[in-house]
Amino acid sequence: MSNELMSPTAFKWFITFLTGGLASAWFVYDSINLLRTRKLDRSDASVRDKHFGYVMGILIGLVGVLGCLRFHDVV
Amino acid sequence: MEAVATTAPEAPAKKTVSPFNPANAVTASRFITLPFFFMAVDNHQLQWATIWMLICGLLDKLDGLAARIFNCRSAFGELFDAITDGICYGFGLIVVAAYGIAPWIPVAAIIFLGVANTLMRVIYVKRAGRATNYKSYAMERLVAYTGYLIGFATGGMEVKFFFWVFVPLMITIVAYDTKRMLIDPVPGAKA
Repeated sequence: MSNELMSPTAFKWFITFLTGGLASAWFVYDSINLLRTRKLDRSDASVRDKHFGYVMGILIGLVGVLGCLRFHDVV
Repeated sequence: MEAVATTAPEAPAKKTVSPFNPANAVTASRFITLPFFFMAVDNHQLQWATIWMLICGLLDKLDGLAARIFNCRSAFGELFDAITDGICYGFGLIVVAAYGIAPWIPVAAIIFLGVANTLMRVIYVKRAGRATNYKSYAMERLVAYTGYLIGFATGGMEVKFFFWVFVPLMITIVAYDTKRMLIDPVPGAKA
């Protein structure tokens, strides 16, 4: 193995795009899931499980995007 | 991470699937990345360490795909996948904390909560009276985040922020799953 793969700047942008891209996609995916299932009967425990999971997915997506913005001193 | 849904009251007769199948081979191949990850961290080649953990995470996604393509899903495969997640990510977290590139307090909290969650799953399986597990959509998402945490540490990306934000998220999800697994009635449980 060589010492490192790329320059620190290139690596910083590589992990930014990877994290930001996946976090954004995750946010959109679980938002769509939540919208699609919003009319299902919430008295069903499995529906509540799904909604809780989608909300957590949305939060995790937001955390990922926020982390990228912090990484580049935007926020 | 794969898990069996709880809603099916009685599982229909399933075909027998050998544990030596392509999906489990992909799952097992994740262990190969661990020594390379460790060596990279030990030699302070943190870009390489990030790539090895990324490969480990990608293989986690591929095993589910292989199971669908080769139609070899099984209860053993799901359990093996969950155990592999625990070992790979637990190992990664311990390594980054031991080498001082991640804060050890959140790492200790994450490992403690992970072990507690695993014990509750064992209790749930006993309560349910069958070899199926509780499908937690939220925990599935958190496990993927765990893989990322290790990458954030080796990549030097907002390490404290990502690790400390993870803890309240994990506490919330474990608390919800605890209620579902230990308190709420089990769908289709044996009388």
